[in-house]
Amino acid sequence: MRPDNSELTVGDMLLRHGTSRRGFIKFCTAAASAMALPAWMGPAMAAQLQHARRPSVVYLSFQECTGCFESFTRSFAPTIESLIFNVISLDYDDTLMAAAGDQALSALDQAMKDNFGKYVLIIDGSVPTGAGGGYCAAGGQSAVETLREAAKGAAVVICVGTCSSFGGIPYADPNPTDAWPVSAIVGDKPIINVSGCPPIPEVITGTLLQYVTTGKIPDLDEHLRPKAFFGTTIHDRCYRRPFYDQGKFAKSFDDEGARNGWCLYELGCKGPTTYNACATLKWNGGTSFPIESGHGCLGCSEPNFWDKGSFYAGLSTAEWGKAGESSPRQVLELATGAAVAGGALGVASAGSGRLRQYRSEHPLNDDPKED
Amino acid sequence: MSRLLDIPIRMESIERTGGLGGGVGAVLTELAGLLEQLLLGVESAAIDLRSLPMSADDRKELQRVLGEGELEATLNAEGLSTFRETRMSGVWWVTHRDRDGEIIAELIEVARMPPMLLSSPEEIAISAHTLRQIQPKGQDNHSTGAPHETRQ
Repeated sequence: MRPDNSELTVGDMLLRHGTSRRGFIKFCTAAASAMALPAWMGPAMAAQLQHARRPSVVYLSFQECTGCFESFTRSFAPTIESLIFNVISLDYDDTLMAAAGDQALSALDQAMKDNFGKYVLIIDGSVPTGAGGGYCAAGGQSAVETLREAAKGAAVVICVGTCSSFGGIPYADPNPTDAWPVSAIVGDKPIINVSGCPPIPEVITGTLLQYVTTGKIPDLDEHLRPKAFFGTTIHDRCYRRPFYDQGKFAKSFDDEGARNGWCLYELGCKGPTTYNACATLKWNGGTSFPIESGHGCLGCSEPNFWDKGSFYAGLSTAEWGKAGESSPRQVLELATGAAVAGGALGVASAGSGRLRQYRSEHPLNDDPKED
Repeated sequence: MSRLLDIPIRMESIERTGGLGGGVGAVLTELAGLLEQLLLGVESAAIDLRSLPMSADDRKELQRVLGEGELEATLNAEGLSTFRETRMSGVWWVTHRDRDGEIIAELIEVARMPPMLLSSPEEIAISAHTLRQIQPKGQDNHSTGAPHETRQ
């Protein structure tokens, strides 16, 4: 966590830790696999990563449950310790760092000053704007203020989890804290959304590693998610898909179909409209994923997943529609004009182009307050 | 509580659904194509098993069809890796584990020899240099054994 270490390349750090050439290629092969890159990319990635600079990383947590960070720490390939010791210079993270209080905040200021314009800013949690930002503050500064200040010097902002990506559960109705996603606050920096509640550990570390390796923003979908991980629906890659094609569905969680491992579509599985890598990367080092454990997908990596009706209603009856579209309640509000009228008032008070844009795309809640 | 195995949940087997399921057939077809390319001199290729939507049963079925060959190599670097040639020559089942023994990558490589097993020219040069430097106590360069003579 020393800033001067960021001058060392990844190859330097690995050599310093006694990692052999084959060990390094193996590390890259595992990383390429986690990043959903073609298998032959491992050795090529090793050659590239060896000369890559270790970027300074600042990790800020706002209105969240720490589930995303817990997930981050459980990455198998690459592990968080191999990332911290070899690939990145983690200069601020208030969950992991030993420092506290003024010392911790000084470390944050120093990291942002020393690496202005170059550091990777990771945000975990939504940004509450109600009560003057008072619902989430540290060191006398609200999350909104901290985010705006930290984003100024960031090369890229990576939103870890559905809360920072899309507002998540704090943003869900009735949104008592006026919570918003990072993209509603920060408008002039590249943003990568790594959604999920929580995201798959290897998707978090893989996205970070992909950025370090290439120095570029990966291909993103319409919700700013890396296509490498969010390019296909869970249904597309589900091992139970053949049963769906054969019309074999479990009707309840304890019937013959469930015991036979048939498709969970009629039990509310949102796999067909959810983009994520659960069906291939799986969880806990590739052990399993919710559908393999017998429960349908909740759609947690999609915007507004909490407000889209019952998790146990089939897609055909729950009106989830296409991934990322408005929930039935939003559609209803729009139809009755309630949300539109509320939106107009909110825009007038907020006066921000970025917020207006987000407001028009996500007409569920009031606009975040400017300060 | 009873053992996990006592819980009456089972996956419908491939035999019951008929034929190779879960993309096993597609993988075999892809492997056949890669082997044909290998014969034509195309570089080695690999299929990342984690990128395929396979159940544990599908994985076992793929392993069963490919079978076990004669060769097996292990690599001990940042954890154990195994390279097992399958019954199909040129098709290697490769498993990489971390220091805790957890699988971090699993691939099927199509190659005469998995590239990671080969020594690199740089490392060979370093080894040669190192051997030149190693001198038994009490001996000078002129009385060194075989390596010196070989150079003559």
